[in-house]
Amino acid sequence: MIINNKWLQKYIDYSYSDEKLCDKLTYLGLEADLKENPLKDIDNIVIGEIREVREHPDADKLRIAIVFDGEHERKIVSGAPNLYPDAKVPLALPGCELPGGTVSKVELRGVKSEGMIPAEDELGISDDHSGIIILPDEAEPGNNYSKYYQEKYGVNFDIDLTPNRPDCTSHIGVARDLSVLTEEKFHTPEIDFKENGPDISTINSINIHTPDNCPRYATRVIKDIKIKESPEWLQRHLKSVGLRPINNIVDAANFVLMETGQPLHTFDLDRIAGNEINVRLSDQGEEVVTLDGESRKLNDRTLLICDAEKPIAIAGIMGLQNSEVTEETTNLLLESAYFDPATIRKGAKDLDLNTDASYRFERGIDPQNVIYGLDRVTDIITEIAGGTVCKGRIDNYPNKIIQPKITVRFNKINSLLGEKFDKDWITKKFKLLGCDIIAREDNKIKVQSPSWRPDLKREVDYIEEIVRIKGMEKIKSASSITISTDYHQNKRHNFTQKVRKKLSGYGYNEVYNNSLTHADHIKYNINKVEAIKIDNPLSQKLAYLRTNLISGLTQTAKYNINHGNTNLQLFEIGNVHQFAPKKENKSIQKEHLSLLLTGNLEDIYWKYSEPRESSIYDLKGLVEQLIEFYTSKSPTFNLIEEDIDSFENLLEISLEETVLGHLGKIATDIQENELNVEQPLYFFEGNMKNLFENTTDKIDYQPISDYPAVERDISIIVNYHTHVGEVIEIIQNNGGSFLKDIQFYDKYSDEQMEENNKKSLTFNLIFQSRERTLKDSEVDQKMDNIFNQLQSKINAELR
Amino acid sequence: MDLFEEVKGSRTQFREEYSEIELEKKAIENLRIKYLGKNGIINTYFNKFDQIPPEKKKEFGQLMNSFKQEVQNSVADLKEKLKSDQSSSKFFDPTLPGKNPREGSIHPLSQTMEHILTIFREIGFSVELGPEVETDYYNFQALNFPENHPARDAQDTFFIDDDTLLRTHTSPIQVRTMENQKPPIRILAPGRTFRNEAIDASHYCTFHQIEGLYINDKVTFSELKTTLFLFVKKFFGEEEELRFRPSYFPFTEPSAEVDISCFKCGGSGCDLCKGSGWLEILGCGMVDPNVLSASDIDPEEYSGYAFGIGIERLTMLKYGIGDIRLLYNSDKRFLKQFKNI
Repeated sequence: MIINNKWLQKYIDYSYSDEKLCDKLTYLGLEADLKENPLKDIDNIVIGEIREVREHPDADKLRIAIVFDGEHERKIVSGAPNLYPDAKVPLALPGCELPGGTVSKVELRGVKSEGMIPAEDELGISDDHSGIIILPDEAEPGNNYSKYYQEKYGVNFDIDLTPNRPDCTSHIGVARDLSVLTEEKFHTPEIDFKENGPDISTINSINIHTPDNCPRYATRVIKDIKIKESPEWLQRHLKSVGLRPINNIVDAANFVLMETGQPLHTFDLDRIAGNEINVRLSDQGEEVVTLDGESRKLNDRTLLICDAEKPIAIAGIMGLQNSEVTEETTNLLLESAYFDPATIRKGAKDLDLNTDASYRFERGIDPQNVIYGLDRVTDIITEIAGGTVCKGRIDNYPNKIIQPKITVRFNKINSLLGEKFDKDWITKKFKLLGCDIIAREDNKIKVQSPSWRPDLKREVDYIEEIVRIKGMEKIKSASSITISTDYHQNKRHNFTQKVRKKLSGYGYNEVYNNSLTHADHIKYNINKVEAIKIDNPLSQKLAYLRTNLISGLTQTAKYNINHGNTNLQLFEIGNVHQFAPKKENKSIQKEHLSLLLTGNLEDIYWKYSEPRESSIYDLKGLVEQLIEFYTSKSPTFNLIEEDIDSFENLLEISLEETVLGHLGKIATDIQENELNVEQPLYFFEGNMKNLFENTTDKIDYQPISDYPAVERDISIIVNYHTHVGEVIEIIQNNGGSFLKDIQFYDKYSDEQMEENNKKSLTFNLIFQSRERTLKDSEVDQKMDNIFNQLQSKINAELR
Repeated sequence: MDLFEEVKGSRTQFREEYSEIELEKKAIENLRIKYLGKNGIINTYFNKFDQIPPEKKKEFGQLMNSFKQEVQNSVADLKEKLKSDQSSSKFFDPTLPGKNPREGSIHPLSQTMEHILTIFREIGFSVELGPEVETDYYNFQALNFPENHPARDAQDTFFIDDDTLLRTHTSPIQVRTMENQKPPIRILAPGRTFRNEAIDASHYCTFHQIEGLYINDKVTFSELKTTLFLFVKKFFGEEEELRFRPSYFPFTEPSAEVDISCFKCGGSGCDLCKGSGWLEILGCGMVDPNVLSASDIDPEEYSGYAFGIGIERLTMLKYGIGDIRLLYNSDKRFLKQFKNI
């Protein structure tokens, strides 16, 4: 919402600076941004007077203007169509820096131009390039144009208006609110015109078919007007807030809109059939052509203004071409109405068409202002377009909007704000707000809300007004606050935080990826789930909620590898979703943890010749340790045998019956051909809830044995495809109760073994008792037992 | 035996010992003591000076001095050799780079969120979580957003269907908590939220919020102010000034936006604060009675305050990050800078 300071000053007498005004508006909740004068930094631009216009000897499209700059006459070569003698124009002198470049003396087709007469776009005022700027006659040649512009147009404030304040969608509205704060004199323009025409009831009638959608509709008729260009003052006002003048009738309606906030519509009376206005909802499929030339198909809930035969406007949004005011128009029908906010909002949404009018109607305009707006525009039109106003107006107001009566208790103000306010001060401010004071008692005040404040419906709304007008700064901060001691730890949330810290300690970098992703990401799911689709996505690439984290991490890896970071240890903790049509919110949400490992485990270091390359076992070890750290239980890793296109060596990780997650390698085909990276990528993805539910803070303490441990190695040759886990299991089951630890520490095969499809495995075994020193003979016996079992079960040979 | 011959013998012996000596600190020191020590060979000879006939004293003196000189030079040479020898085996270069264990990092958004939660935990706020996919009821209706009201425009929404959407704020957690708990309620609701906005340097379709809610009897705006002063002081430091501006959120009344004085320019106006001298950091207000009533909490008996903090905004302000997309690009060069928590 643009508010211009010169315009605002028509309705309130204030004398402080623009910066002060900006602050005051912001303090009132009308967050204002002071716009700089676009010409502020432009020097060397003066007001010139065209003395003579000559043809260019060598160019048809160029002419030569002799322009008086206050001291001298200058030759200016220009291609503008609107050069004429005596015109006052801005004149940019050589050296003048404009947004498009510096003005210099140039020769144009053999004629030296000593400056430039700019169009609006060349000064950065608007995008208008239709011709040079023509100034009013009273502009004084030689004066600084930048200063002249500032004095003429003033400065603008861009107000970021909150949706609860429709009353401030106009200059009068903002002036009125400011006056509540500052108590300066606020005034609205007087209306003064004569009704010399025939009675309007002989010319027009209104039928409101759906009063719920259109509580109030009023019209006036003006005959024999003359369409022409608007006077300078009107053009200046519109231009100052960025509106382009069109003709005197359209301009007058736009002016009153910006002045009073009342949207108005002007029809060409002679294009309206049957002297009647019908307000009704559209029929499904009905087609209309709006003022912007667009043909629009309607649904069955758009509010239409119709004559006896056809729609002539989409109510509150935009008029139709078939009844538009044109240069031939002589008789006008003026519309001023209050439409139901929700009806207009739905209509504007359905049509995807937002206008200055719909913006105000959908927020709720002042129903009492309908008549003032109508008369104000009538007054201005008769002043600038002549014509005869028909006697009276039609005001069809079937659904009277009654302002609520509210009781405000003084102690409630105190108990909600923590601050006491003077009761007389409150009464005075409520009056300035426009309330009718119905009753004032010692402990409460009863008021009727002003018609322009649909947001004042409850006691608490008035309490807000008190804070707003008093200034939030004036409410003292409490000297002490209460502290709750009965708060509970959200263990689940705390756990997530702990895992973050732990993983970052392990050298992993946390990433945040977008939850919105493309349909294809689902291929990284191990279990088939349906992704949730966004009905109105930003793009097809962001049309689904992610069902896994690893798809995002593979993209992160690709991005980093392409930027030269090839050694990556990444993790993400975040929510994934699956579609669940039977659930209230259609979604099952799970918190996942995902890890990605690729490249070398270490950076290049002088002491070691080669940095160690990561493998799936590094990730397996990390995940195992992480799970054991939090749960004090060892997970099992089971190879998933079925083919899943996206992964290789896929392991399912479980604790007893609960699956905690999966780890594996991204399929070589995807890695090489889709991600286009040369190094293998290892990943883990797991469910944080399942991990959390298995966590324990109990520690199973075991006293340290006082007796020495006996250490034995065993090296065996087995079939090449024997799993190490199988060997460990046999050792474990046959080593007796003193076998405390088994370390696998060497895997080896020479040429001969390979030929025979064999390999050698070496294990280190620790035996220990808590009660006594073990004898060599009993350990030997266990070792024999272990080997015999290995021999019989997997054909192991001693090496 | 002639003392001259004895000295010459000792000198030959020294030369042998010198040529065979192990280049080791102790051995060199022993050699030095043997010959140059107080009771060493050379001093012993000097003590026999009076046994030398006077005519030979000068000659003996010259011989001894040359012997002593040779021993001294040789020992010095040995020490020098030892030093250079150590450069190959025992040489230690303290300037060689140490081996750093690889260190990870916690995402700046996680860090900011935890920082904020920690501050409020100290005054007794509990953490509550909620779903990212929400119903229209929890995201809008129960929070006093009427249907077909322009207030919904400020919350560009991703819809799943007419009734289901991606939450535009974490405020639905307020409602879910009020349905299940009786006052006093004092909670923080951190989480991911969504807005249907084109992605650019200051907008992203996903972002994070912490919503705070406190409901009890006698909760006042004045207490809200103090609580937020406390927060800002702890989060940003002591210097910042605070400003409350009236604003509008459907679920609070009165509503305010809170600015801090720009820490880049100190309030005089710069590109960070777009010339205003103030930086907006959060929205807050007193819980609207309609919101309380929707959850069966009697607004005559209880009052409350709520505030919403944008994590991205605070993170960007705190570290001077100019583009929100950097937070989601997952560039390791960016991430690894956020180490300490």
